[in-house]
Amino acid sequence: MNATHSLVARTGTFFHRYANPGRFLRLGARLQPWLTWPALMLSVTGIIWGLFFSPADWQQGDSVRIMYVHVPAAWLASSGYAGLAVCSLLSLVWRHPLADLAAVEIGPVGAAITAVCLATGSLWGKPMWGTWWVWDARLTSVLVLFFLYLGHIALIRAFDEPQRGYRAAAILGLAGAIDLPIIKFSVQWWNTLHQPDSITLTGAPTMSTAMLWPLLVCTLGFTLGFAAIVVARLRAAVMESRIRAALSARRGRGGTVAGDAHGRDVPDGAVA
Amino acid sequence: MTHLPYIAAAYGMTISLAVLLGTNAALRLRRARARLATIDRPARTGRGTER
Amino acid sequence: MTRKSRRLWLACACLIGLGSATALTLSAFSSNIVFFMAPSQIRAKPPAPDRTVRLGGMVVAGSVRRQTVGDTPVALFDVTDGQAAVTVRYEGILPDLFREGQSVVAIGTASPDGAFRASEVLAKHDETYMPKEVAEALRRSGKWDPRYGKAPDAASWDTMTVRNARKDAAGPQQQHGS
Repeated sequence: MNATHSLVARTGTFFHRYANPGRFLRLGARLQPWLTWPALMLSVTGIIWGLFFSPADWQQGDSVRIMYVHVPAAWLASSGYAGLAVCSLLSLVWRHPLADLAAVEIGPVGAAITAVCLATGSLWGKPMWGTWWVWDARLTSVLVLFFLYLGHIALIRAFDEPQRGYRAAAILGLAGAIDLPIIKFSVQWWNTLHQPDSITLTGAPTMSTAMLWPLLVCTLGFTLGFAAIVVARLRAAVMESRIRAALSARRGRGGTVAGDAHGRDVPDGAVA
Repeated sequence: MTHLPYIAAAYGMTISLAVLLGTNAALRLRRARARLATIDRPARTGRGTER
Repeated sequence: MTRKSRRLWLACACLIGLGSATALTLSAFSSNIVFFMAPSQIRAKPPAPDRTVRLGGMVVAGSVRRQTVGDTPVALFDVTDGQAAVTVRYEGILPDLFREGQSVVAIGTASPDGAFRASEVLAKHDETYMPKEVAEALRRSGKWDPRYGKAPDAASWDTMTVRNARKDAAGPQQQHGS
């Protein structure tokens, strides 16, 4: 137990270094341009490459181009949820205040990218499979992921006392991580209408490199874009909680209050 | 048979959602930074530096 | 044990418990999660004639017969999983990706004599993505006939460019011409 104890403590110390909001704001400000501009450049390059310069598929024709937005969105939907689950663990075990704020901010972005994945998949399924939607294991498990995101968004904002919302949402976020391996392996464990993965860790991708490159560029661009948006939202959230802390401190001293901070319920003591 | 409408719809919805999320995040960040700057100034004189 | 490590162990225990519960549930319901049945399964255990089932398999090369009854196109084709074949009858327009050798899922009812009346046919494409010219080159060189199964190992064609494939296509004809 001694070893695990010190490991737990050390992990906690490591993460708590970045729980300091001032340090996070400085780090975030420095990181932001390195995320935003490469994200924009790579995404634009990948989309133009995929739309106009990559070859049409031998049986799907031009419809295969939907892959360049659908597949990165699908990967990001899963990895975004993995990020949410890590934040949930940090919140539950180490009571990490920044992880709570990050969970609040990842939720809507992840839900949006999951919606993109489902919608583009539907738009791809109609001309290729002949149907907008089927209840096979892959499609259903991704729909469950979408509802997990929606549930997390609702739960984390549902309580008057934000700490309770963070706790409840973190439990949901961690439990929902069960869905991730189900999504990944659904196409292997059960027969589905959705085809198996073309790109696996173990074998060569069953895809022409002329299609693989734009796909990888799009994936990198979208991933950086996801990170850039989450970091920007998180910086704004930290600043908003500072504003609230400053306002309530002034209110406590009996000073005039210029106006109330809008919307978000972050406790004054959480990060400031 | 062409599937152009499906491709256009898929790309259109992806790009518009990305633009929406991106501008929303940028505007929120800008507003928070501006408000923090106006609030920080009087607070600083009273309680010293917080940052 | 500190409170932090107790919370960590608690979280791990809950996750393991929930994971195994999910795994047990999924394996118990796995026959319901399966999206379609194979022809050999339908042959071995024919479903009730009024029950809608989904039949999945590969369209047998050379088995597709198209007719027109009145105004509606009717297609008859065999679907196989390599062990058994079931003849499917479908009235309506087949999806674009329907072809011999393609995997399809037919939704409909199986009659006791073994025929399958489909109300809907879905095409199930595989995970192979390649340009048209490359597929053409593979077919011409005899490495792959899409009507008889999956594409060969990806390493043998994934770096083949469209230009190379076109050159391949142009090559023999030029020799003929000269």
